[in-house]
Amino acid sequence: MRRRNGWGATVAAAAVLTTVLAGCGSGDSGGSGGGGDDSFKVIAFTSGNQTPIGAWWVKAVTQTAKDNGWDLKMIQGDFDFQKMNPQVESAIGQGADAIFDGYTDVASIGSIVTAAKDADIPIFAMDSATKPSDAFAVNITTDQQAIADGTLKEIETSLGTLQGKNVMVIGHDPHPGIRLRSELALEDLKAAGANIAGGDVQKVKSPATGRTEALALVTDYLSAHPNGLDAVWVGWDDAALGASQAITEAGSTAKVTGCDATSEALAQIQSGGAFLATVNQPWPEILDTVTQDLTTFQKDGTLPSENFQAVDVTVVDAANASTITPSDKLG
Amino acid sequence: MTTTTTPPTAAEVPVQKRTSIGKFLVQGGTTIALIALVLFFFAMRPDVFLTFTNVRNILFQVSILAIISGAQTLVMVVGDFDLSLAATSSLAGSVAASLMLDGTSTLPAILVALVVGLGVGLANGFLVAYVGLSAFVATLATMTSVTGLAYLVTEGTTLFDLPAGFDSLGQGRVLNIPVPVYIAIGLSVVLWGLLRFTTTGRKWYAIGGNVEVSRLSGINVQRGRLLAFTAAGLISAVGGILLAARLGSASAVQGSDNLLFSVAAVFLGMTVIRSGRANLVGTMVGVAIIGVMSNGLNILGVNSYVQQVVTGLIIIAAVTLSSVRTRER
Repeated sequence: MRRRNGWGATVAAAAVLTTVLAGCGSGDSGGSGGGGDDSFKVIAFTSGNQTPIGAWWVKAVTQTAKDNGWDLKMIQGDFDFQKMNPQVESAIGQGADAIFDGYTDVASIGSIVTAAKDADIPIFAMDSATKPSDAFAVNITTDQQAIADGTLKEIETSLGTLQGKNVMVIGHDPHPGIRLRSELALEDLKAAGANIAGGDVQKVKSPATGRTEALALVTDYLSAHPNGLDAVWVGWDDAALGASQAITEAGSTAKVTGCDATSEALAQIQSGGAFLATVNQPWPEILDTVTQDLTTFQKDGTLPSENFQAVDVTVVDAANASTITPSDKLG
Repeated sequence: MTTTTTPPTAAEVPVQKRTSIGKFLVQGGTTIALIALVLFFFAMRPDVFLTFTNVRNILFQVSILAIISGAQTLVMVVGDFDLSLAATSSLAGSVAASLMLDGTSTLPAILVALVVGLGVGLANGFLVAYVGLSAFVATLATMTSVTGLAYLVTEGTTLFDLPAGFDSLGQGRVLNIPVPVYIAIGLSVVLWGLLRFTTTGRKWYAIGGNVEVSRLSGINVQRGRLLAFTAAGLISAVGGILLAARLGSASAVQGSDNLLFSVAAVFLGMTVIRSGRANLVGTMVGVAIIGVMSNGLNILGVNSYVQQVVTGLIIIAAVTLSSVRTRER
């Protein structure tokens, strides 16, 4: 009896598997048009599809592919490189004309870069490294120095000077952009004569708990040093919102800056509280530029003349917050 | 009548002494660790550490962890554990926030969120008690699904601009003490009473002690485990709702660190009592250790990476103490 059930289950599983594989096979051949067609095949991937900007990117690139007639294979990694990288490598093995990397750090995709180079497929990227890298035909990101300069200028304007002021810098090392701009902000603050609260960049361990970590960090610091902060520079908005809440609850007059221009940060800035400013990074415009590079490559095989661009950003304060499209409402 | 006694050998005497000291350290180790931590941080910053403001900060910071840890304690009392508690709390907070932003009044939104937590707990309990899945597999699976649901509910964004009345649940103060502190204390007392004084609590301890003996004693083991998971889901929803109110916002992954810390707190607490089992008072001592350590290290300006290392070491020490305790029994 057991044996018969076992065979029955095996046969059923085999039947299901066959059906699924047959379905996949027919879907694939129908979608790609086979290996011999002239469609421009693009593999797009992002690890950050669960973030608002990552989710927007997936939608926007899918739409761009439709508009340009690309044969798109979109791979979403959920921050799981062990899952995503082999999928991308497998897709490379099946052939493609170009690869589009969205928000996935070059340090995490070494095997993809190698596979792409071996297959002679160029990688077009946005916000995938903070410095020029041979991994990419082009990588367009935002100017981290401009982010640090713009936010520090807001703090300086608010406080009158940075000289002798107590400023905390909160960063998050695993994110290359946040790490770089935090280091730049720290250097600039030291150069301006500010006292760095805690002596160095205060590190938040996880972006998922960034707000609560920053909330506890600033609360505890103010508990130990009442009136010991004039400002808190934070590398991204979510943690900045935690710092801002801690400052408000402690009754401090310190000011906070962030980066990302999320809708919540914009609302806080407009309310006139501790949250002083954030930074808007022009992701739609960057996507347009990378798309243009891709279509040029599609037409005549020309690659961009420079493989790295760091574009300017917009500092957002109470004066212009209402005019900015929040980064979590892009699409 | 003459009695003959064998005097202890020279080798046995010091062993006996060491055993007594060892027993004292094992039995009181966690509580001693808490006292030692408080004394250490007080010595380092006498002007700050035990001030009213800072003690209030500590209580505020651990209040939601205390609630989640209370939920974890219930499940660990019946001999299981729940990996989905933090995810359930995030989902509950997200559901409440989403409903309120869609125009639902605060109270109905909270009630729906509580029902969601109850439902996840019920599903866990059903899978473990009736389907026979291991708690690890069942709660790992529900954690994954529940996190996905939270992403769906929030659409991957942070929900904010919640009603002021809702925010006051997490940010308001009564007698200058934050509301979540009262709720955490109240819930803890209720759970302590449930485990200590009710038949249900005793049955849960019996199930956690030995499932077969409990079954043979006439205890409905399946129902007991179902109830424990269900209660845990409901309580974690309370924690998630309060966290959303505390932050004035909700996202799919906020409070995710509460999973690790709640398990750590229960393990720490298991060393507090003689039986070495999960218990509410011990869990609260564990929560206090985590809170005091985090606050104290922040006040001393210790790097957060070092804090994480220290937290891990304390969990190892607790588990070691707990296993020593179990072997002694």
